[in-house]
Amino acid sequence: MDATTSMYVAQGIHGLAYGMVLFLIASGLNVIFGMMGILNLAHGAFFMLSAYFCYSVLNLTGNFWLALLLAPLFTAFFGIILERFFLRKMHAMGHMGELIMTLGVSLVILAAVKIFWGTENLPVKMPPILEGMVSLGGLEYPVYRLFIIGLAGVVLAIMTLLLYKTRLGKIVRAAVSDREMVNALGINIPVVFMVVFGVGTWMAGVAGVVIAPILTVFPGLADQVGMDAFLVVITGGFGSLLGAVIVSIIFGLLSSYGVQFLSQLAPVVMVGFMALVLAIRPSGLFGVKE
Amino acid sequence: MKNKIINWFLWVGLIVIVAIIPKVFGAYYVSLIVTFAVFAVLSVSLNVLLGFTGLLSFGHAMFFGAGGYGTALALKHIAGLSLLSSVGIGVLSASVLALVLCPLVVRVSGTAFAMLHLAFAQLMYVLALKLRGITGGEDGIGNFPIPPFTIPGVVSFNMKGVPENFYYFAMIVLGLSVWLMWFFTKTPFGQIQVGIRDNAKRIDYLGFKVSHTKAVVYVVSAAFAGVAGSVYAIFHNLVSADGSLGVLVSFQPIINTMIGGVGSFFGPIWGTAIFQILEEIIVRFTDRVELVIGVTLILVIMFAPQGLAGWITTLKQRFFSASSHKLEKIS
Repeated sequence: MDATTSMYVAQGIHGLAYGMVLFLIASGLNVIFGMMGILNLAHGAFFMLSAYFCYSVLNLTGNFWLALLLAPLFTAFFGIILERFFLRKMHAMGHMGELIMTLGVSLVILAAVKIFWGTENLPVKMPPILEGMVSLGGLEYPVYRLFIIGLAGVVLAIMTLLLYKTRLGKIVRAAVSDREMVNALGINIPVVFMVVFGVGTWMAGVAGVVIAPILTVFPGLADQVGMDAFLVVITGGFGSLLGAVIVSIIFGLLSSYGVQFLSQLAPVVMVGFMALVLAIRPSGLFGVKE
Repeated sequence: MKNKIINWFLWVGLIVIVAIIPKVFGAYYVSLIVTFAVFAVLSVSLNVLLGFTGLLSFGHAMFFGAGGYGTALALKHIAGLSLLSSVGIGVLSASVLALVLCPLVVRVSGTAFAMLHLAFAQLMYVLALKLRGITGGEDGIGNFPIPPFTIPGVVSFNMKGVPENFYYFAMIVLGLSVWLMWFFTKTPFGQIQVGIRDNAKRIDYLGFKVSHTKAVVYVVSAAFAGVAGSVYAIFHNLVSADGSLGVLVSFQPIINTMIGGVGSFFGPIWGTAIFQILEEIIVRFTDRVELVIGVTLILVIMFAPQGLAGWITTLKQRFFSASSHKLEKIS
């Protein structure tokens, strides 16, 4: 296998892994938006918070798998607190109130992170099993990226099963299309909302943990990766899981090949792609018209 | 009649206060007040869009930045340009940007409108960072020549190095902008705006063109954001991607408007003042500005969701119920 091909493949794997991380964050955002109509501007901050939790758990126990289990749960816990005690009151005020509230919360999280963990880049060691390369069919693949792709695939599968094969999923899907009716049928919609919000932030948390060993943990994480995830949701269409999958992969590949070929203008390619999609379809690739 | 006289006295008093501030206070306060005026104009221009037409823009910074970059580039490359025409070029570039975007953005509203603007503003930001040859990348454009303000044959004020002179210039330009925007919202056209916010379909049935109206409001709002950006660039003698096009520049006027009160014309100005005083006090005690901004936002949205203007209206209603008709005027 010559060098060019392996470069293409390596960049492809990198892009796919980054796209999968974007997908985890974006689909969390999407689940919350599709269900509750809330655009959670604090989502990126939760993602970053989880990376910090991962760092701390790893420092205390030294076990990456424990961090992968616990950090997203802590994050989801904070997400549920946000929904229950802050966002729920905003509902009567419409989107403006929710946007401002989540913006405020994201600023508070950012400040809190700087107070508790400082502003420097904190390194997170990946578990020894996932280090190094694996060779398949004459090509070398970094194991950790494959792990990310696999994990995101598992989460996607669980989400799909949960949404389309369980009673809870049925309730959620029904509530998306007609909230009042489902409420009138005796289902406790506020509790369902709380669970959905928790699941959404949990997904952001998983993404935060898996990205920590690659990018290290720092306060700019929320802006850097969180912003990309927002762009994915906008481009893919609000509330569309399929759109999130496709656009995350496209964005991941665009960013990794973009860095390879036009290092300076890589972010422009992503935003340009989005502008093009939105110019043709203002509600996003798979979005439903408002 | 009596009210009118009192009003006139208040206006004259305000102008006198604005005029004597540089004589009484030092250069520090002068620069503080210019910053306040710039962001007040930006917030009011955002509120023309948000409060009066119901369109929330997450990317108002791009017009602010277009004004700033337009002015800075013009001053850098065109020799002998007068001060007013450089501001004019800034306004023109913001308006042209809005004109280019408006066929697309008038078709959407609500969250899509907000997000579309976040995206376009991000594109402008990235472009400003990456097109080093034109915009100077992270460094921005600084140290461009600032021409004196001249009325040919009459008088000439040196702008560079004399903060007082620039203060008067900025105050007049920005004050005029606020007055023009106020006038704009009071016209019959302004009433159609409010109609679109409240019920776009009905306005359509009444025979007004909704998307045309939105487009006009959009361009006007962008132009005044351009004025603010242009004055800001000349004031600092610098325009940079983070300072003029960043996400925080887009969020700032939204925060100001929220604190002051959405839909009240003077609310954003009060909001800007409150926010700036708050920030000024905070940085003396702690450098955790984000924390305080965040907590302020949460508190405002939870306990005074209509902002200061709404809060005052509620108080008025409670204590002087006779004046409750003013509620309709404000909202």
